[in-house]
Amino acid sequence: MREYYPLTAAQKLHHNWIRDYKTQQVSGVSVVASLKSALDFGLLKKCLQLEFERYGCMRIRFTRPDEKGESKQYIVEKETRDIPIKDLSGMSMEAADNLMQQWAYETFNGDDIPMCDVTMIKLPEGYNGFFIHMDHRLIDSCGIVVMINDVMQLYTHYRFGSEYPKDLADFEMVLEKDLKKANNEKRLAKDKKFWDDQLDALGEPLYSDIQGPEVLEEARKLHGNEKLRAADIERKNLFVEVKDYYLEPEPTKNLIDFCMNHQLSMTNLLLLGIRTYLSKVNNGQEDITIQNFISRRSTHDEWTSGGSRTIMFPCRTVISPETEFIAAAYEIQNVQNRIYMHSNYDPALIMEEMRRRYHTPEHTTYESCYLTYQPMPVKMDNPYLKCIPQHSKWFANGAATKKMYLTVSHTEHGGMNFSYHYQTAHLEEHDMELLYYYMMRILFKGIAEPDMSIGEIMAQV
Amino acid sequence: MNNEMKFKEIVAQYCEVKPEDMKNDMRFREDLGFSSLDFMSFLGELEDTFDIELEEEDALQVLTIAQALELLEKLEQEG
Repeated sequence: MREYYPLTAAQKLHHNWIRDYKTQQVSGVSVVASLKSALDFGLLKKCLQLEFERYGCMRIRFTRPDEKGESKQYIVEKETRDIPIKDLSGMSMEAADNLMQQWAYETFNGDDIPMCDVTMIKLPEGYNGFFIHMDHRLIDSCGIVVMINDVMQLYTHYRFGSEYPKDLADFEMVLEKDLKKANNEKRLAKDKKFWDDQLDALGEPLYSDIQGPEVLEEARKLHGNEKLRAADIERKNLFVEVKDYYLEPEPTKNLIDFCMNHQLSMTNLLLLGIRTYLSKVNNGQEDITIQNFISRRSTHDEWTSGGSRTIMFPCRTVISPETEFIAAAYEIQNVQNRIYMHSNYDPALIMEEMRRRYHTPEHTTYESCYLTYQPMPVKMDNPYLKCIPQHSKWFANGAATKKMYLTVSHTEHGGMNFSYHYQTAHLEEHDMELLYYYMMRILFKGIAEPDMSIGEIMAQV
Repeated sequence: MNNEMKFKEIVAQYCEVKPEDMKNDMRFREDLGFSSLDFMSFLGELEDTFDIELEEEDALQVLTIAQALELLEKLEQEG
């Protein structure tokens, strides 16, 4: 008999965005993975079909939402759909990318339907591969990287006789374990206490915008409340642009070395860079909150089971300008470590508690910046494909629920990519230029002189 | 299975080292490759498996397998 499961907290995050913004587009995730090589498409199709069997999350479906807007999920035993092939080889790579970008805007509309599309493609310049378009409730970006690698390991096994890939963890088994953890009352009470204690100690958070204090002032006028501490969320115009900046390998190495030498994680250094910028452009505001995404993958099973495990929590710190850069970094690390310990909690409950305590108006937020740091390079990690040029690209779904969402990843050549997704309703490319420029100035000043105070750094950059 | 072995079986879920190859002076981060998130998730797993309650301050002081085992033993005795 088929088992129906509730959604996990990570899945609910996306589910609630779909419900609030009334479009599934906000939950789309798309990527193309290709090699500059002639592929046996018959064999690739077999491998992709096999992947549907191996990777249970690709077979998730959702029931019709109930009166509260909540759906259940279930996993179908078999996916029998054909995998089509599209020939874009006659186009330029730019035109092919633009066409795939259009595919990424498409939505999965309906209940009890497949939420995953795979298309094999022939690309220009001799590249061949496949395009995946999925709903984020099924998978996150780490899950997609694992899937791409698994497909290519299957392909090289059948094509070149390499070792058959190891079994992936059973998605349903990991899901059951996650749900059991989430329902552990003792743990839930501990997690709730952690988040409540933070509010008890620091009070209501204070919004800080990338564009400065005027945004909060505007919200205060709009709501007729001069003490309002949250600002409005854009709900109508969700169009998003993406601006990428590349940090060269040498300065990247300097950041990595600093982290290693001071036992810091890169996420915390990046959070410090963003929060210092926000403080600088908001008249030295000390109480800053940034939403940070955590990919809850630690065990082997969690790494290979697929699914959507990425979840965001507010990283709130109150840091005075007299604090030394390195001390501020450790303060963030301390907060983040505690958050990790309570990362099974549903972040919606944190917001619910704040609304209860502070009567935060509907559709307002305390954060303007969201960060994801991906330590894992988006690359097919297969020795048989090592010397073959690859073309991989993530495509934005075109509908941002967040004002500014920064994804930082490592490139295959040792550099770092800073990908800023920003809502065009209020932000322009110039805002991202400023943010990146100052983030870098702050970070490199800080790592060069870790004893310098945050206030001095803000004044000097 | 004794507690130490049970403990090491859990550690092995998070790293590439087999339980039988684990030495008690191994450090979670440097030797076993735990990230901060891995370590904190691992502590949660310990709480569930051994039905103990870890104080965050104590847990954050733990660097090696030996220290973790010591803390575990102390908490089990108290419980």
